[in-house]
Order: sequence, then structure tokens, then C-alpha cells
Amino acid sequence: MSQSLSKKSARSRPDAKTTLFYIALVLAALIWFTPVITLILTAIKDAGDFAVNGAFSLPKSIRWANFSEAWETGVKNYFWNSVIVTSFKVPIGIILESMAAFALTHMHFKWANQVFTYILIGLIVPIQMTLVPLTLLMNALNLIDTLTGLTILYIGFGVPFGVLVMRGFFRTVPVAIIEAARLDGCSWFRIFYRIALPLALPAVVSLCILDGVATWNEFILAQIFLRSDELRTLPLGLVQFSTQFSTQYDQLAAAVLIAVVPIVLVFLFFQRYFVAGMGGAVK
Amino acid sequence: MSSVLRKEGAVLPQTSKKSKIRDDRLRFLPWLFLAPALAIYTVVVVYPMVYSAYLSLFRWDGVSPAKVFVGLQNYWILLTQNDVFWIALKNNAIWLVAALLLPTSIGLGLAILLNSRFRGSHIFRSIFYFPAVLSLAVVGLIWTWIYHPDLGLLNQMLSALGLKVLTRNWLADPNIALYPVIIAATWSAVGLPMLLFLAGLQTIPEEMHEAAKVEGANRVQVFVYITFPLLRETTLIVLAITAINALKAYDIIYAMTNGGPANKTQLLSTWMYFLTYNYNQVGLGTAIAVVLFSLTLIFAIPYIRFMTRKV
Repeated sequence: MSQSLSKKSARSRPDAKTTLFYIALVLAALIWFTPVITLILTAIKDAGDFAVNGAFSLPKSIRWANFSEAWETGVKNYFWNSVIVTSFKVPIGIILESMAAFALTHMHFKWANQVFTYILIGLIVPIQMTLVPLTLLMNALNLIDTLTGLTILYIGFGVPFGVLVMRGFFRTVPVAIIEAARLDGCSWFRIFYRIALPLALPAVVSLCILDGVATWNEFILAQIFLRSDELRTLPLGLVQFSTQFSTQYDQLAAAVLIAVVPIVLVFLFFQRYFVAGMGGAVK
Repeated sequence: MSSVLRKEGAVLPQTSKKSKIRDDRLRFLPWLFLAPALAIYTVVVVYPMVYSAYLSLFRWDGVSPAKVFVGLQNYWILLTQNDVFWIALKNNAIWLVAALLLPTSIGLGLAILLNSRFRGSHIFRSIFYFPAVLSLAVVGLIWTWIYHPDLGLLNQMLSALGLKVLTRNWLADPNIALYPVIIAATWSAVGLPMLLFLAGLQTIPEEMHEAAKVEGANRVQVFVYITFPLLRETTLIVLAITAINALKAYDIIYAMTNGGPANKTQLLSTWMYFLTYNYNQVGLGTAIAVVLFSLTLIFAIPYIRFMTRKV
């Protein structure tokens, strides 16, 4: 009722107030997006054009070669390394996390609250608190400077957030459904993967996306545990790229843009899952 | 549910045995579900944490087999002889205050503006949230160009506006370098509070606002007396998460200033890295990590209490 009223009034005549509101909002959005626009303009510019006119002017001509040059200078490696790490970390992590979250929510587990608190500690611990012992551990296991080692670390550090999100969603799965399945003699494993997990599918998708983005963007563990250039993931590679080619802004911007594009696509297509996922985290 | 089973068992002795076996299996089955996650989490996160605290009591270069037990001396050295530690601590404090004020209030303002449905509200939400999905290293790189002394947008704009006196080499000026970095960090930190506040606003029934308006309340009154009190829980979560994230800041410093100029933009997190990996002062490095963790706990304990309420 009230909704239809407001819609009607908004449609019939955009008064001065509404117009002003839109203008202010568009201006704010433009200012907010300036860094991204600058990045795009720099990436498609000729280096000479950039040196003369700076970042924030329309390019004289679009130079796509910046992208291919950046790609060949090393971004290709960084990109595929990030793809590899992310595509192993996310599914494995989600299986472990959802199993744990299921046990904590539906299996009448006496220690559920204590175990959950124990897991939550991981959300708050600064990564610096773990670096030295992890270095020793990874060294002992010969996992320094390997993508495998890095993936294992990512899975471990991903547990708290994953359990938090999955637990938030499993709690919304009605107990009655689980109880009914129990009465029918369904085993807990079956209940987990045939009932609870399918019901929590939106949560799984949300977590995939949040987790994928976080893994794609991770910097400090990669910085500490990857040593050779050909193994670097994107954020690390880009920062390194920027110190090595500090004056080639066009290529650097193109490299950054290559790193950002997958995130933008994920963001555009799965936007509502960001909201849902974060909602699950504070439920 | 299980009590129903037990009652049946009391009536029929044969099933009582069966259900007891089932109960025993039940007791250990949750651990089986938890085992993989708990194992990797314990090895990768918890054990290193505890071991770091232990290492902070030693003088050690990280390489030689001999660790010298020195008790709390590392902490004493940090407090009395390590000037950069104090710079870092002060920077962390500034960073924390800025993080608690700026992204939270901007996020709340945007959430209130964008909560009402109007044409394009979704696009605006995406635009303002977008920086939050970028890697902080990337955010650092982008803003480094904006602050570039000659080619950067900021100085060019200032010159164009006739404010050439204000132009400077933003990230190389030891007196102010921290603040441009904080602005860049704020840009990327607004999205999360905005999202959480939007989610919080959506739980407030529209009728409450309507009722207040019918009673003659103006917008400010509606916000002060209705919206904000109902957002109390969301606000607490937002503040806690923002504070915890602020203390974790690292990538963006590394990408923008690398702690410089003259260590003036070091944070505890970056100074820990320098001491440990560049100067081989593992004892001092882990001691800083412990200090950082203790600071985090101040904000984290209420947060964890909240998250583990009612199960």
C-alpha cells in the first residue's frame, strides 16, 4: 500500500528535491569512482600521452598493447598462479568448513559453543602472530616457495570465516527436517550432503564468492612464503612489478586492471551473494 | 527428540541396547565432522600463535640453533629502546581512530541514503561498495598514482584550482605521509560497514517509520529515536569488525610507503615484518606480534561474546 503510493509520487513528477538528490548522488559517485577511472585511463594510454597529460585526461588513442605487454612481462604467470591457488583453496575449504559448521549446529554436540569460540579466535588473530612459527613449519615440511604450501595455509586461515558463515545458514535449516530424516533412519553423512548442504546452497555460493575474492586478493602470506618470481600470485606480483617497472605506469595500470577484471565480473554477476554472505556472518 | 527415543527404549529392552550404541556413535561422530577443519586450523593458526608468544621470550636471529631465554626483555627493549615501536604504536592509534570514525560514519550515511528504493539505488550501492572487493595491494597501487608528485591527479587538480601552494610529494613527506594512506584505506573500508548497515536497516519494519511520521516526527527525529537505537547491535558489530580490520592493516602500507619515509608510516604489523625478516630480530618481532594481538583482543572479546551468544 505505502509502497505503491511512494512509487506513484516518484513517477508522476520528479520535483526539484528529487533532482537535487540525484545530482548530489551522481557527483558523489563520480568522485568515489575517480581512482578506478584514473586506473582505466592510465591503462589504455600511450606512455608518452601519460607523461605529458597525466592520468586524468581522455586518451589520444587507445593502446591495447599495454595489456598484452603487461601480460607477457609476467602477469600471465601471476594470473595463473592465482587461478590455481583459488580453485583449490575454495572448494576444499568449503567442504571442511561446512562439515564443521554442520556438526556445530545440528548434531546435538555438547561442546559446540566452546569449539565455535575456539574457531572464532582465528578471525581476530593478526597474521603477524603466526608468521615465524609458520616459516619454521613450512621450512621443515619443504613447503616454502610452493603453491601447495600456500594453499594449505589459505585453507587453515579460511576456516573461521567459513565456519561462521555456514553456521549462520545452517541455523536457519529447520530442525524438524533433520529430525524427520533421523527418524527415517538416515545417517548423519547422508543428512549432511543430501539435505543440509542442498538447503544451504545459497550460503555455499556466497561463501565461494567471498572466499574466492579474499584468496585472490591475499597478500601477506604470499609475500612471506613465495620466493621465486614465477610462483607469485597477482597482488604480490603486482607490487613487485611496481617496484621493478616503477616508471612504466601504462603497463602497470594495465597489469592492475587485468588483476581486477575477474573480481569485477564476479562482483557484477553475484552481487547479491556478497550481501547474503556477510549477512550470514553476523547472524 | 533423543529423549523420545530413550523413552521408547525404556519400554522395550532390546532397543535400549541398540539406542545406546547409537548414542555412543553419536558422541564421536561430530568430532569426525569437525576433525579436518579443526586439524588444519589448529596446525596453521592456533599452534603458531601459541608458539609465537613463547618465542617472544627469547633472543634469537631465526637461524642459529641457540635461542637465549631472556624473559620479558624483548618487551622492555621495545618500550625503552625502540623508537620506531613508539612511532608504529602511535600510527596504529591514529589509524584506529580514523577507522572507527570515517568508514563507519560514511558507511552509515550511505546506507541510510541508499536504503530507500529509488531508481538506480542498486547501481549506487554497487559503486560505493566496489572498492571493498579490491585487493588492498591494488588499492595501494592505484592511490600511489593519485598521489604522484608530478603526474598524480591530486596535485594536478590542486594546480588547476590555483592551489599550487598545497601541492607536495604526499607520500614522501614524513610529517603527513600517513594520512594519504589512511584516506586510501578509508576508500576501501567503507563498503563493509555500508553493507552491514544496509542489512541492519532492512530488519527495521517500515511501519515503525511510518508511525513515527504520522505522529509528526521529522527525519532527524526518526533517525535519532527510532533508526539508530534499532541499529545498536549492527553498530557494535561494525565497530568491532572495523577495529579488528584496522589493526590488521599491512598490505596497503607495504604497497604505498613501505613504512617510509624514515619509518614514519610504520605500523606494528609492518614493523614486525621489518624486524623479523629484514633485521633477523625474531624475538622482538614476535613480541610486537603479541602486543598487536593484545590490542586486538580489547575489541575482539566483546565481539566474540556477541557472536557466541544464544546457541
